[in-house]
Amino acid sequence: MQPIVEVKNLKKSYKKRKTKEYITAVNDISFTVNKGEILGLLGPNGAGKTTTIKMICGLVKPDSGSISINGIDNQSKRLQAQEHISAVLEGNRNLYWRLTVRENLEYFAGNRGKSRKEVSTQIDDLLEQFNLKNKEKEMVNRLSRGMQQKLAIAVALLAGSEVILLDEPTLGLDIETGYEVRELLREIVRTQKKTIIITSHDMDVIQDLCERTVIINSGKIVTNDYVENLMKLFDVRAYSIKLDGHLSEEQHHLLLEKFPQLVYTPDTYQSVLEVDLTQSQEMYDLFDILKLEQIPVDTIDRKTVNFEQVFMKIVKGESEDAIPERA
Amino acid sequence: MQFLNVLNANIRREYILLKRYLPNTIAMLITFYVLFLGMFFGITLIGDPSTQDANIQYVIVNYIFWFLAMVVVNDIGWQITNEATQGTLEQLGMSPMGIWKIMFSRLLSTTLIEFVIIIGLLYLSMFTAGQWLNVDVLSILPVLILTLISMFGLGLIIAGFTMILKQIQAFLQILQFILAGLTFVPLSVAPFLAFFPFVKGIDMVREIMINGVTISEFAMADIAILVFNAIFYFGIGLFIFLRCERFAMQKGLLAHY
Repeated sequence: MQPIVEVKNLKKSYKKRKTKEYITAVNDISFTVNKGEILGLLGPNGAGKTTTIKMICGLVKPDSGSISINGIDNQSKRLQAQEHISAVLEGNRNLYWRLTVRENLEYFAGNRGKSRKEVSTQIDDLLEQFNLKNKEKEMVNRLSRGMQQKLAIAVALLAGSEVILLDEPTLGLDIETGYEVRELLREIVRTQKKTIIITSHDMDVIQDLCERTVIINSGKIVTNDYVENLMKLFDVRAYSIKLDGHLSEEQHHLLLEKFPQLVYTPDTYQSVLEVDLTQSQEMYDLFDILKLEQIPVDTIDRKTVNFEQVFMKIVKGESEDAIPERA
Repeated sequence: MQFLNVLNANIRREYILLKRYLPNTIAMLITFYVLFLGMFFGITLIGDPSTQDANIQYVIVNYIFWFLAMVVVNDIGWQITNEATQGTLEQLGMSPMGIWKIMFSRLLSTTLIEFVIIIGLLYLSMFTAGQWLNVDVLSILPVLILTLISMFGLGLIIAGFTMILKQIQAFLQILQFILAGLTFVPLSVAPFLAFFPFVKGIDMVREIMINGVTISEFAMADIAILVFNAIFYFGIGLFIFLRCERFAMQKGLLAHY
């Protein structure tokens, strides 16, 4: 696939006002985003993802490194590069609340050098697509949060750029609207072949929309891989084994010696062992012990790991040896 | 052509907001009119009767230009502060047209829209005072345009600094009085002020409106200073704005507080 965004060795530090100390926000990160891809850019608070996004948008100048959008360097030819990128950085705060839905769309298009006539049909189509047609004359401050969010995305789409950056596109939305926004984004990628970079704390959104994620922590990329791969990687390890009866002290110690991260939870009649098995051999080892000690096993469940858990494990550093940067 | 679309979008926005904030606009006009009445009655009641007419005429012109300077220079600072607080400044920063062109078109559109109000205020002031000034459009217009260009330069400087400092409200309050000083002080009192932005232009407009001078009667030196001020202040304004924009991008200051 053809990369449309190329980020190379990006670095950015900020000076703390009080202590005059330099804080590294982004430390030598490189990644690419392919045309027509939805990429999740993730990280805990303060990881450096907003700085990265703003550097890609051309709003923050990197200390070193380069970013090219559609082959155009966004530092030496910033304005030219900005023709190929648009963003929703602060959701509904990116709009003029005292202008109507249509006026907002027309105003932002105008600021990109487009006339009202030029974008009139496109605006009609977007209003239709985003279910905002009956609200076009409504002032933004009278819209619901979901509608404002949809309008902010429509404004970004109206720019006609190939790359769209969305910072927390579903933040503060109810389940139904959040789902509607996800569907819209999927449709945009499918029908208009747009490339989308998303940051979100909602891992359901990321798991649902993104093919690939770049996870940043402390200014560095810790993972750059397909969501499916990451899920597989963590999914195979976690098991929940329900036992009939309880373990004796000795049996518990024996298991802990072999599997230090094992969690044993006794219940009234049964008990549960929760264990991460890194290699398949460990599975045999565990069952050998259970068999030898004559511990009756009721059920074995492979725990379903959601992307939020995967993300937490990666951020906590459990992935360092396991996950290579693939993309 | 693209810039015309930017300008058109900003004129439209300005007009819509003016209509939508009509009570605010009316309140602002009333405040200014009351202020004028204060000055007018002050001169009538306690001023020297022999120079009363001339003083009132001076007050009308100075006061109208003060309003204009406030609209052009001060308003852009408030606009940037509001944009940064709202979260829309970054969106403007992402336009492939460049922020300066958007801000310049804001300056132009604010001036164009408010100009209608200013003309209304001028005639209202003349009617109230019973002093009818010489509104020689052909002579006033070229001087006014050159004066406005230097004002735009100053506006861009204010816009640039506001982009970086954000918490500039206190300074903007003080700036109102600095602008008042620059518009009210005659050049005969402080000739060096001719090289300050817009002071020379206002002095020349005063000559046209009060003393009936025509554009052809001005000395070449006067015109030269006016042209120099326009080019110099607009150039320096744009340069400072672009430097401030660059600095803001280095420090990541385009976002809200």
